[in-house]
Amino acid sequence: MKLKHISILSVLVLGLLSFTTLTESTKYKCMIQMTNYTGEGAYIVISLINPEGEYDKTLYVKGDDDEWYNTVEQWWQFYDKKQHNIDAITGATVSGGGRAIEVIDIEDSKIDAGYSIRFETAVEDDEYYINDVQFPLTTENIKGKHEGKGFIRYIRMMPN
Amino acid sequence: MTISIWRYSHLALAVSSFVFIVLASVTGIILAFQPISEQLEPYNVANLDNITLAETVTVFQDNYPEIIDIKVDANDFVIATVFTEDGNNLSGYFNPQTAEYLGEELKPSPFFQWVTNFHRSLFLKSVGRFFVGLCSFLLFLIAVTGTILIIKRQHGFKRFFSKIINEDFNQYWHVVLGRLSLLPIIIITITGVYLSLEKFDALPKTKTTHQVDFDTLIESPKQNASNFSVFTNTSLSEVKHVEFPFSSDVEDYFTVKLHDKDLLINQFTGAILSEVNTPKVEVFSALSLNLHTGKGSILWSIILAVATANILFFVYSGFAMTLKRRKSRLKNKVKAEDADIIILVGSENGSSIHYANMFFKQLIKQNQNAFIAEMNAYQQYPNAKHLVVMTATYGQGDAPTNANQFLQKLKEITNTKDLKFSVVGFGSLAYPDFCQFAYDVDQALQQVYKPVLPIFTINDKSVDAFSQWVSDWSEVSGISVTIPQKHLTIQPKQLKKLKVISKTKTNVDNTFLITLKPKKHHQFTSGDLLAVYPKNDYRERLYSIGKVAGNIQLSVKLHENGLGSGFLHSAADGDKIKVRLVKNSAFHCPKKAKQILMIANGTGVAPFLGMLQQNKKVESHLYLGLRTEESYQIYQEQIKQFLFDGKLTKHHLALSRVGDKHYVQDLLKRDAKAVAKLLYNNCVIMICGSLAMHKSVMSVLEEITVTYNNKPLSYYQNKQQIKSDCY
Repeated sequence: MKLKHISILSVLVLGLLSFTTLTESTKYKCMIQMTNYTGEGAYIVISLINPEGEYDKTLYVKGDDDEWYNTVEQWWQFYDKKQHNIDAITGATVSGGGRAIEVIDIEDSKIDAGYSIRFETAVEDDEYYINDVQFPLTTENIKGKHEGKGFIRYIRMMPN
Repeated sequence: MTISIWRYSHLALAVSSFVFIVLASVTGIILAFQPISEQLEPYNVANLDNITLAETVTVFQDNYPEIIDIKVDANDFVIATVFTEDGNNLSGYFNPQTAEYLGEELKPSPFFQWVTNFHRSLFLKSVGRFFVGLCSFLLFLIAVTGTILIIKRQHGFKRFFSKIINEDFNQYWHVVLGRLSLLPIIIITITGVYLSLEKFDALPKTKTTHQVDFDTLIESPKQNASNFSVFTNTSLSEVKHVEFPFSSDVEDYFTVKLHDKDLLINQFTGAILSEVNTPKVEVFSALSLNLHTGKGSILWSIILAVATANILFFVYSGFAMTLKRRKSRLKNKVKAEDADIIILVGSENGSSIHYANMFFKQLIKQNQNAFIAEMNAYQQYPNAKHLVVMTATYGQGDAPTNANQFLQKLKEITNTKDLKFSVVGFGSLAYPDFCQFAYDVDQALQQVYKPVLPIFTINDKSVDAFSQWVSDWSEVSGISVTIPQKHLTIQPKQLKKLKVISKTKTNVDNTFLITLKPKKHHQFTSGDLLAVYPKNDYRERLYSIGKVAGNIQLSVKLHENGLGSGFLHSAADGDKIKVRLVKNSAFHCPKKAKQILMIANGTGVAPFLGMLQQNKKVESHLYLGLRTEESYQIYQEQIKQFLFDGKLTKHHLALSRVGDKHYVQDLLKRDAKAVAKLLYNNCVIMICGSLAMHKSVMSVLEEITVTYNNKPLSYYQNKQQIKSDCY
């Protein structure tokens, strides 16, 4: 009996260890340049989207007042269900004409694997853009500059 | 009641917004502790005035391979995001001189966030924000109307901060605290309104837009960031935010936000690519936010918290005053044309109305045809036989608001010459123009009607004096009316039991000294009052206290059938009697005066015996008026000891039934020059004894100051140099 327990335990431990080695990740500098819109600071949610087009993970949230999170409608449904802790990856909102540089962490395994990155934007009592910026995560793409469709003029990313 | 438009507005604004104001105040007080708790964090490690931006940039570049940005927050904490050698990013507070990581950035606690949300929008989002902004504006208007009320009350802007006499707890503190917290409240409300307007896009739009000519960007001559002249010439205290170039491409640059301008700096040459001044709106927004929240200053946060706590008190005291006023509304059963007895009231804050109403109700009980109205409502009274005017005096001897047209109307509207009148003046001897308006009214009435009684003045709402007038009037008018005293006084609470430790025999004037032992925790001093309850009911009698050797010494004249004096006289050593100690700070021995002149007659000497016993070094003169030398005997020993110990500098005794028959005022006249000089040198004169003596002494003093100092006595009264406690 005891031996069985130990073997199960060791399998579990080994499994966990191998899992952690799999989650090697890279930090990227990401610059968001806003258009010259007027109004409140925009809420921007950066998410990882799996090959099926579903939310996989929240990478960054610009906007620290959760009273307005529901204005980022699509993501709000995902966030609400998951209830994960995003304290460490939140920052202040950015207003029209402003820009911000943030550090985001993406697992290496998600690059060139059909995943994409989505920048979702909303301004309270104003428009909401489900994919202000969205592009597939490829080694090429991730170093480039991507134009936005809504409140974002462009974003630039760079691995560190 | 005629209420001035300002008071009406003040009240109407308060009624319409007080719920929101209370909610915003309570949460505001809580939120004041957020900046305080932030400021107490240990991240403010250096004086940012003494550090240049170049120093900080250099030390960061030496320590970290990559820097994203460096910020300086309202608390002067330096926040940065960097990459470390091992490729991890590090974000939080840093030491600007060593680039040492100090700790993670403080996230506002969920509690404070919750309270902040409630404070600015009541959880109602935009609608709530609108209401909070509106109420902030209403509170601003309340502060403005309140200021106008104070200016009117004080008779001029210059007298805004001069002393107010404490007649009513709520009213006194409403005004006193109102004056003190006026400025912070105005700042809180204006910034509050501004912050709301900002949320609603109601402010002029201004954007800082940079124009960079990318075609002319050059990479040489290359310089180290530590040598950029912009960086070396800028101290860290001017900096809000420095964003480092995104990549080493020349088209990426440093973005430097200072408090007054935005700069773009070439990352290779240090040249300024673009410079835009911060729009005024943005500067004012930042200022508003800091002023409204107290961010960055513990002292200002505390001032905001205290001022906001005062707002809560204003809501309470304001409504308490209003309810009290409403209680004293005038209601009639008969028409003015049909009434026999007309009562006219002049009152600013309702306390005289209280007395007038009592009198009126008693008349109605006796089935008299009485009518009560404000003085301004004066009209023709075809059936009236008696006119009673009860009025306070406002400010510097002026009419109260609801009596300010009376004298004019009296000239225009005539009634039968047989109308019999009596004037009762309410006031306080603490003011220079004691009952002045009542005297003016009495004079004016004498021209047209018949006085049944000489003008009667009542000091400090004295119940006894009022009862005295009622019985006088009852006698001359033949209309029997008495006012049960329980209507005029409040049931005493929190009585203390004190032991009688000694009592002298009565002297020729039937006067005796009685000493009571206080408990250690009882706080009192000479000049305070002791209330006794001879019949264990609502009836109270007040005596001036002399604190002698820590005990309470009273000087009491035994009157025939005297309720209070008889009660104290019958108390034996060791008896315990129920009393109440009444603070009377208007008659405390002044702490700062270098000279004191004490004037007393009869038992009025009691508080002075205590003050002299407590006296250490102040030059003191005592003028004491008594009947005979034998009257003096019970005080003689104590006073001689004071002279011997140097506690009393000079003593003058006036005996009214011996030899030349002197009164204290005669001695003052004799020493006129010396008295004038004392007043000139800021000496404080204290008067205790009978009202008759007070009147004579005041007129002698008036004569002295006018003759020798070329100033009316009111000049010294306004300087708080005359204090009285008379009965």
